[in-house]
Amino acid sequence: MEFWKDETEPIKAFLALFENAKKDPELSEGLKKVNQLIWFDYSEDGPNCSFHVDCRNGEIKVGVGKPEDQPDLTMSLSADDAHRSWSNKLNPVMAITRKKIRVKGSATGLLKLAPKLKRVASIYGDTLREMGWENKIIA
Amino acid sequence: MKGYSGRFLKVDLTSGSTSFYEPDHDYYQRFVGGAGLAARIFLEHGDFEALPLAPEALLIFSLGPFAGLHLSGASRFSAAARSPLTGHWADSSCGGNFAPELRYAGFDGIIVSGAADSPSILIIKDLEAKIESCPELWGQGVESTTSILKERFGQSFKILAIGPAGENLVKFSCIMNDGHSAFGRTGLGAVMGSKKLKAIVLKASKKTFDVQDPENCKRLVSDLNNRTKESVTLGVMRENGTAANLEGGVHLGDVPIRNFTSNFWEEMAEALTGSTLSETFLVRRANCAFCNVACKRIVQIDDGPYAISRGPGPEYETIAAFGSLLGSKDLAATCKAGRVCNDLGMDTISCGSTIAWAIEAFEKGDLGLTDTEDLTLTWGEMTTVIDLIPLIAHRKGKLGRLLAEGSVSAAKRTGGDSASYTVHAKGLEAPMHDPRGGGHGLALTYAISHRGACHVFSPMLFMEMGACYYPEIGFDLELEPMSSDNKPEAAVVAVALGALENSACMCQFADREITIPEWVELFNCVAGMNWNIEDMMKTGRRIFYLQRLVNHGFGVCAKDDAVSSRLLAPATDGAPEGIEINFEEMKRRFYELMDLDPISGMPSAQVILDHDLATETAGVMGDLPCRGQEFFDQALSRSD
Repeated sequence: MEFWKDETEPIKAFLALFENAKKDPELSEGLKKVNQLIWFDYSEDGPNCSFHVDCRNGEIKVGVGKPEDQPDLTMSLSADDAHRSWSNKLNPVMAITRKKIRVKGSATGLLKLAPKLKRVASIYGDTLREMGWENKIIA
Repeated sequence: MKGYSGRFLKVDLTSGSTSFYEPDHDYYQRFVGGAGLAARIFLEHGDFEALPLAPEALLIFSLGPFAGLHLSGASRFSAAARSPLTGHWADSSCGGNFAPELRYAGFDGIIVSGAADSPSILIIKDLEAKIESCPELWGQGVESTTSILKERFGQSFKILAIGPAGENLVKFSCIMNDGHSAFGRTGLGAVMGSKKLKAIVLKASKKTFDVQDPENCKRLVSDLNNRTKESVTLGVMRENGTAANLEGGVHLGDVPIRNFTSNFWEEMAEALTGSTLSETFLVRRANCAFCNVACKRIVQIDDGPYAISRGPGPEYETIAAFGSLLGSKDLAATCKAGRVCNDLGMDTISCGSTIAWAIEAFEKGDLGLTDTEDLTLTWGEMTTVIDLIPLIAHRKGKLGRLLAEGSVSAAKRTGGDSASYTVHAKGLEAPMHDPRGGGHGLALTYAISHRGACHVFSPMLFMEMGACYYPEIGFDLELEPMSSDNKPEAAVVAVALGALENSACMCQFADREITIPEWVELFNCVAGMNWNIEDMMKTGRRIFYLQRLVNHGFGVCAKDDAVSSRLLAPATDGAPEGIEINFEEMKRRFYELMDLDPISGMPSAQVILDHDLATETAGVMGDLPCRGQEFFDQALSRSD
């Protein structure tokens, strides 16, 4: 992996990102509109390298690993590309076309988040700083 | 050749006769079908001197080789003619259900010439065709025309019809298939209207046709259909229609606002986006024949000023053209406007754009209350807009007559500074993708398109979005939309692919799931082209050059490869704010890569030889000069 020393690091970072995103009124509302259970599957970089976000029923819950319920949407990619994606440095359409991101299920809900990727990237940058990982921020 | 019928129906409306025409086999191999084959047929049968609405003008309907396959995206076909809106060569593409039926009937297309004495319909049952008088249908809307004809002939008959706009020679009138799918662009409804041809009624007894390699064809079609069914992006489109990403488009600066004066309007984004339509007025999804993408919408609005019965709903272009472009975020109004345009038979893009121009002209004082006959034109005032649409279709009143000519002609007649805020290329109003946010390459492909500003002339929009990856032909560029870098190089690929798509008559959404080797395989197993990848791409380029040759015959030169200044002025807000489009450099480099002459815009002698276009060139070039504006003005004057 280019950005992470092991499979635990990206999950720590992304869970923290979503905890911070929940506190942001704009993003929190945006996530609720997604109204899906999403599994972010980075297991190509390690068996435990995944997390899920449950935006159903007007709540946002984040957890490690594959969710117990069947996910509405599964996004499989590498932890490095996930880092680029949350940093708004990876064109999601291009990544899907080139099979860097493999999507299973309906991406309709996620499309609602597309306009907010810049905001996500800003919070992700702040999150990495809080964690002392400024060196991981992509310029 | 397998795949094709090898036969066009020729219809002379002046004499009332029909006959068969069998194009050279070589035409199919070199120009594929659809838009490419239509251009070649025009060179053989057409007349450059014939005005667009004169009886001598040809209207050519042309299928691609895949029409009739049970393949998602394959049920489209082309119509082509000299455009009454732009004065030069034009083609338009239509989905629906007519194309496969025409193939099953035994035809690759229909060539219509002449003009009937009185309103007529063309009836095709298998290989038999006849023309009948239909005065009772003249003046009827598309919806009632379609309904009356289906009642008379049978519900399984497929109908192409024009509305009152086509009858009244409105320059952006369209031709509708079963009231829902359209040959929308370039005013071909007026060409049909000038021939007094109200409708074409079609039925085929058998529902099969022969292909070169049935076994491989079946396997490939099955694979591709499975892919379109499972595709993430097409799944989004199935769920929320072609406007699925309108909200994202607003944030990119792609969606035009108030006649392309703004690139960002946050409240409008969610109000007009596809998921909002799904949650509000959608009652059912619909599809073109054999397509599992099902991006079409059936809507119903029960209450309010824009109530409409259950029927065809708007797609992205209509939503933006009668929404953001007019300063409105009223989704119900876009549904109503789209329905009214469909019934009257008018292109929603050019109609919305021409009204947007008129609102700006009124705002700036170039149009006054005398010109509008006391109608006040205001951004977002949709009841006025919807009342205005029938006035345009029927050429009623000063304003209706003015706007029926399209924005470019209307500006010429209006004078003042009003031409400066027309938004077009080669006289065709720009679609609802602003190159400043949607991608600088779009400005280039709008300009070099033979038909004018058109987003489906080539897949550049998808390339800049990141939805194309064709390493087999060297297209592995990661394009940044709001930059001119690598756009000429991308355009070289885009024009060849676009020519193939529009000649094979494949849907540009479903196309994105087909790889380059699969394209080749499809051509080979359906039509026995016996191509490799380079053969196929060379054919695409050949068609691109041919369309330029035909346009040159109408006087189009390099200087006409341009877009309105508004599309190039740095945006004043949104994501593209302040960013310059380096248009001239993109055009210069594209000309260099395609070996086009910087004055005439024509391909070099070497290109002509390499692409086996010597015969076609001799038929066009001669000593034709760049003809200039007077020639186009004459072409655009009404011939009735």
